[in-house]
Amino acid sequence: MAWVKIMGSLMLISAMGVWGLSGAHGIGRRSEELKELRFALAFLEKEISYMHTPLTLALERTAAVCHNPIAGFFQESARKLKAREGLTAGEAWKQGIEWLKAQSHLKAVDLDVLSTAAQQLGMSDSSDQRKFLLMIQEEIKVQEEKARQEQGANQKLWSYGGFIMGIVIVLLLI
Amino acid sequence: MAKGEVGNVFNHEIMPLLAPAVRRVFSRLESHHLLKVEEIRMRSGQPLIIRDWDGEYGLDANTGFTADINRSYRVSREDIIRTIAAISDNSLYAFEEDIKRGFITIAGGHRVGLAGQVVMQEANVKAIKEFSSICLRIAREIKGCAAQVMGSIYAPGDKVKNTLLVSPPRCGKTTLLRDIARSLSSGSGQRKACNVVIVDERSELAGCYLGQPQMEVGPRTDVLDACSKAAGIIMSIRALSPEVIITDELGRREDAVAIRECINAGVSIISSVHAGSMDELVSRPIMSELVEARIFKNIILLSRSKGPGSIEKMIRWD
Repeated sequence: MAWVKIMGSLMLISAMGVWGLSGAHGIGRRSEELKELRFALAFLEKEISYMHTPLTLALERTAAVCHNPIAGFFQESARKLKAREGLTAGEAWKQGIEWLKAQSHLKAVDLDVLSTAAQQLGMSDSSDQRKFLLMIQEEIKVQEEKARQEQGANQKLWSYGGFIMGIVIVLLLI
Repeated sequence: MAKGEVGNVFNHEIMPLLAPAVRRVFSRLESHHLLKVEEIRMRSGQPLIIRDWDGEYGLDANTGFTADINRSYRVSREDIIRTIAAISDNSLYAFEEDIKRGFITIAGGHRVGLAGQVVMQEANVKAIKEFSSICLRIAREIKGCAAQVMGSIYAPGDKVKNTLLVSPPRCGKTTLLRDIARSLSSGSGQRKACNVVIVDERSELAGCYLGQPQMEVGPRTDVLDACSKAAGIIMSIRALSPEVIITDELGRREDAVAIRECINAGVSIISSVHAGSMDELVSRPIMSELVEARIFKNIILLSRSKGPGSIEKMIRWD
């Protein structure tokens, strides 16, 4: 029966290990998503301030140059605007944020920064648009730094923690 | 234009741009009521006013048209903001240049005049913000309305005569000019077609949206959109080899100079001017110079006596 115990122990340790690794990955995801979001906002800013692309199209183009879930956020906002149901850009943006909340690893504080754009998006001249989009990029960058600092400590804890927990449980059971 | 078609223009091009609350008020009307609408005026906190061929009306949320505008739907600030958001596709930055001129031309060639807090930079308008009112003018294309005047526009040998349309506002000058451009540009059985340039300072003749004419202006027509008349006339003579230049609402000194230049270059001009009668016309120094110099061989006076575009009188010097 010894081999059953060994197999069981190994399975338990590896399952806990995988759980820990995926947790560590999730922590890493937040800072990656913030970085992606910042690049996407920079792209949107250029579409608006230099190209004067209409907002719906600018959002779609931004979606096309980034990955999910950030791409999905821009796609969702564009889709809401395209429906022409009398929504303003701010409202469509906020609905996009709701979508992002469910789909991403971003924290409430990150989404709050993003939602400050809702008030002004689209509704002023291009130099104004550029100013506030630059400001939001700066703020996202601050969040990104913070996320990275947290990540350093926590990521290690999670990636080793899973295996260690697995071993502890096995030892307790034996 | 068929009745249904005009109703469709309203339903497809105007309705989606109105704030949802205002749209609901309009949606109670049947499309034949929308047929004659020329202007929709929305002012923050004030009654919604509609102008058509016959006069102005309010629009009651329950009973539809009302002559008493105090019973009309009251437009809120939010209605104004939502309408402007829809009109600009939530992209006011894309319409900076239009807003500096005070209006946005939208798909379909309709014109949206804006008022609000104006931001000045030295002597020029930099932007308008905090919008308080919207004046939506619905552009009409009446194909074939120029047929009645085309005979007087061609001189023997199919040379096009310099022609001036004269009338007070809202008598159909722009609609007629547009159809003249289309007719000249398309030609017909006996008549030779011409290269036409439209210098469209106020984006009303061709109704350009993002540079593309929204109205049918003919296969041999080039449009200089949002270009001042004087600059556009000179530029097009150099670059586009027109046989006829069509432009709207003369009035400035430099317009007259450019027109002389144009005629000296052998290019015909067809234009319009605001004036109620010949007397009013010649009381304006710049116009009287042009008239006395017999620059225009053909002057057509329009009125609304039998609806917009009624021809009151034609004066010919040939």
